[in-house]
Amino acid sequence: MKNQNQSELLITGVGITSAIGQGKAAFTPALMQGQHAFRVMQRPGRQKDTSFIGAEIPSLSYPERFSKRVLRTASFSGQVAMVTLQEAWDEANLAAVDPSRIGLVIGGSNLQQRDLIQTYENYKDRAHLVRPTYGISFMDSDLCGLCTEQFGIRGFAYTVGGASASGQVAILQAIQAVQTGQVDICIAMGALMDLTHWECQALRSLGAMGTDRYADEPAMACRPFDKNRDGFIYGESCGAVVIERADFAMSRQIKPYAILSGWAVAMDGNRNPNPSYEGEVQVIRRALEQGNLSPQEIDYINPHGTGSTIGDAIEIKAIQDCQLSHAYINATKSITGHGLSAAGTVEIIATLIQMKESRLHPTRNLENPINSSFNWVRGQSVPHDIKHALSLSMGFGGINTAICLQNAK
Amino acid sequence: MKKEDIFEIIARNTCEVIPELEGHVFKPSDRLTELGANSVDRAEIVAMTMEALSLQIPRVELFGAKNIGELAEVLYEKSKSV
Repeated sequence: MKNQNQSELLITGVGITSAIGQGKAAFTPALMQGQHAFRVMQRPGRQKDTSFIGAEIPSLSYPERFSKRVLRTASFSGQVAMVTLQEAWDEANLAAVDPSRIGLVIGGSNLQQRDLIQTYENYKDRAHLVRPTYGISFMDSDLCGLCTEQFGIRGFAYTVGGASASGQVAILQAIQAVQTGQVDICIAMGALMDLTHWECQALRSLGAMGTDRYADEPAMACRPFDKNRDGFIYGESCGAVVIERADFAMSRQIKPYAILSGWAVAMDGNRNPNPSYEGEVQVIRRALEQGNLSPQEIDYINPHGTGSTIGDAIEIKAIQDCQLSHAYINATKSITGHGLSAAGTVEIIATLIQMKESRLHPTRNLENPINSSFNWVRGQSVPHDIKHALSLSMGFGGINTAICLQNAK
Repeated sequence: MKKEDIFEIIARNTCEVIPELEGHVFKPSDRLTELGANSVDRAEIVAMTMEALSLQIPRVELFGAKNIGELAEVLYEKSKSV
């Protein structure tokens, strides 16, 4: 999987929507200050005699040019995808690019569960009246339709699934599309996975989502790598990144965020949600090797770090055994919550923002780290010029992904 | 419900599906296609109107209506027979 031209692949545009802010201008200070939006979730369809804690996007603002006609029938995931793509699109000036040379990969599957349950509850006794547009909008690929129509993309667009690694899987696919020359520009998106109380309950029953332990203190519930963690806390989010070759970016006079220097995927051969130490070590080593990077060169790690009891412990051991415990490490999910399908892209974006800002964001609720020998960024942000970063994602079904980023400054 | 009321419901639903029509004065001779409704929009407008009228009829029975006036007429006849 060695890529001789790897340094030529750049990230040149970024879009972010999350519970702590829509757009980089709002997201960046919130991230650096460790602001959060955790509370008992309120969005219709999220609770049924329950009090699941999570972080929800407070409101969405739409560009003027978005058609109300389209927004009326787009799911929440679809609307968030469109506004997020708009930011990345503008930043990378994609309006000036031949639309037949632009591709889009959307990471995530079963993204619109809340629409499904609301449609069911509304029409279960009068199925003959179900809205015809549901025949389009229930498919994840409707996000591709919405985005390609709104932005005039004429290359290709499809969805890819990799559970909580979907966001990184989308980036890996986008890399391949640019590398092979299929398109000049490929946008990778980690889409918003719109959970209902059904998924929340099942994820909690699995032992993956946090319990009621912090029901009276929602702000305390999300605590990756802390000894008192007891599962992940959901957070609505969506991220989009623009990937292109350096020569193409240069010809367009676009300034990059970072160079994609190494990447890898490794499967555990395991259908279940449990993490694999071997799989995580494997994917880290493959990504470093592909990037011609020694562990010592990595000076910042953005881990998967969900707050899962077993997952965090395995991840820390894998990072340590890959000789990476010297690097600064924090946990973006402690601030944003776990975006599931979106997480991989959102955390790449958090890494890019930290590179740009020369500052690392804090980790909320990291009162007693499970391993105190690590170089944690805890209560306050710290100044640091990232040179080489490593970002990790893992998903149910035994998928592990890793991406190395080199500062383009 | 009177035929005129059904016509108003169709006009209202058409405006909801195509917000650009806000302010348009609907006439019975208006054709949904000419108002900018694509096939999905037309299906949506009909479904919303059937929902408002609590009608349970096969959609095939609504085929043939050439404009909003005729659609209101067909729906009115069906609503009387329910």
